Amino acid sequence: MNAQTERQALESLEPVLRKRKRDPWVTTGNVFIAVLTLFSLLPMTWMFITSIKTQFAAVQYPPEWWPSNPTMQEYLKLLLPTSELGREFLRYMLNSLWVSFATTVLGVIVAVPAAYAFSRFRFPGRNLLFYSVLLRNMFPAVVFLMPLFIMMRWLGLVNTQFSLILTYLTFGLPLSIWLLKGFYDNIPPQLEQAARIDGATRFQAFLLIVMPLSSPGIIATAIYSFIMAWNEYVYALTFLNDKSKLTLPVGLQRFFAEYATNWPGLMAASFIMSVPVVALFLVLQKYFVKALTEGAVKS
Amino acid sequence: MTLATTEPAARERAMPMPRRRGLLQRIWHHRHDYLYVLPAIGVMLLVIAYPVYYTVYLSFFSTPPNLALEDKIFVGLKNYGTVLTAESVHEATWNTWVWTIWSTFFAFVIGFGAALALNRAFLGRGLLRGTLLVPYVISAVAASYIWRWIYHSDFGVIGALSVQFGLTERPINFLDDRNNVMASLIVVNVWKEFPFAMIMMLAGLQTVPEQLLRAAQVDGANALQRFWHVTLPHVKGVTLVTVLLLLVTNLNSFTIPWIMTGGGPAGASEIWITHIYQIAFGRIRFGLASAYSVILFIVMMGLGYFYVRALTSGDERTPA
Repeated sequence: MNAQTERQALESLEPVLRKRKRDPWVTTGNVFIAVLTLFSLLPMTWMFITSIKTQFAAVQYPPEWWPSNPTMQEYLKLLLPTSELGREFLRYMLNSLWVSFATTVLGVIVAVPAAYAFSRFRFPGRNLLFYSVLLRNMFPAVVFLMPLFIMMRWLGLVNTQFSLILTYLTFGLPLSIWLLKGFYDNIPPQLEQAARIDGATRFQAFLLIVMPLSSPGIIATAIYSFIMAWNEYVYALTFLNDKSKLTLPVGLQRFFAEYATNWPGLMAASFIMSVPVVALFLVLQKYFVKALTEGAVKS
Repeated sequence: MTLATTEPAARERAMPMPRRRGLLQRIWHHRHDYLYVLPAIGVMLLVIAYPVYYTVYLSFFSTPPNLALEDKIFVGLKNYGTVLTAESVHEATWNTWVWTIWSTFFAFVIGFGAALALNRAFLGRGLLRGTLLVPYVISAVAASYIWRWIYHSDFGVIGALSVQFGLTERPINFLDDRNNVMASLIVVNVWKEFPFAMIMMLAGLQTVPEQLLRAAQVDGANALQRFWHVTLPHVKGVTLVTVLLLLVTNLNSFTIPWIMTGGGPAGASEIWITHIYQIAFGRIRFGLASAYSVILFIVMMGLGYFYVRALTSGDERTPA
């Protein structure tokens, strides 16, 4: 923005110059984007370069910009169940997959009917309920941490992954409901009315007509909840103790505490942990972006 | 006098009123609708309404460190007094303020700038947008470790570079120096969340009608004027939502400061959430931490009010 204001100032000063040269807006924009891309990518590049170094090479001064003898040994250590470390890491990964998957599926099952109802029906208390759902986004996670911890202890769920699934579900719900409601608002109700005339019940019309049409919304919702659950840290840190139950973010922290000087190993673990979400995101980018921006933008 | 005041009321009563069914009747009439929202509301009640109530309740008690909650002692507003007068809370409040304002400012400005630059068709635009979004989707824990390594006081790459180019004599101490730590953390946070602002603003920019910009150009408006008079009014709503969401996210930040510094050195990067977490799960003082949370919660509700207003303004779909 600073660059932009400058550019704007320059431009208003030199209107003649502007006409002769190529559009300085575009040039400055390109430079800005190039710098920003470097800013985004360099830390991740450095993570990868470090991860293929030996532990000794990682602490060389001056740093090796590209390792003289690159090695995949840290990746192999983490991903092969032949060592204690590998078994632990794979277990964390499976735990993360299970928690994220269960959260996503349950989230969609709960959010779809709710969003549909908020979009179509006019029942008393609808607005109140809808806004309280939205307000959930505003609550600091930590407000829920202590009471939920006590509640989970009381329900005997501390140190189980179900406690995480239940908690993550509520994080995802407000956004899912909001997003899906937007989708249902855009599906003409006449379609269901036609189905009703043909003899379908209201629920059948919903299940057979509306559900298939809203699948892009459902995919968007699902990706968003999956990535969120995969990355979540605070609750996993608080609710789980048992080493065999940890998810990757907390597992990574444990790993760091135990092997504090093994930076290549830590970077390799961070890399592996980022791969599924980045892959998922790049493939389904369109939906993810929709998940983020739907609702906030009205055309 | 009496006549004058009662008469309009009487007249009103006499006027034919639209028949409105009672609330219970309407609820009964719509009873099937509730079945659709019931699972969602049930989960939300269990995991949201109850915790909120319980936090408020617990904030009036002193809890024993072994968390045997039946032994808690009612202390009234004492916890609130402790929180509001503690020196460490004041420092954390200042840090939270610095953290939230600068993170939000830079994330928004950089994100909006990127959105403006990306808001035209060119080859590889989708790929570029995807690349820029990667920091946003990776885990905050991984991001924190990556940056800890980059900032490392002995082997960090930035430190090594600055020495090699003769900018500093010794590697810069990013995280263990009281003066540098907040700025270093804010850079990481901005790195992680500017893509969010970018994607929101990009979506907003796409709603600006192309014809309107062209018409303004034909009428002789320069780029600045077009931006100010055409683009900005169109993205006002999404700007408000984005800034509010950034503010809330930053007020609620935990992972980056927690993993990178744990609030240190000596509380120099302690913000509200890490402080509350420390009190609750480090010192196991749930009552005190609850009072702290309630205060934070009230701040959030203020922002929440604006958030719902921003989201619903001009929403003709929502009936009164």
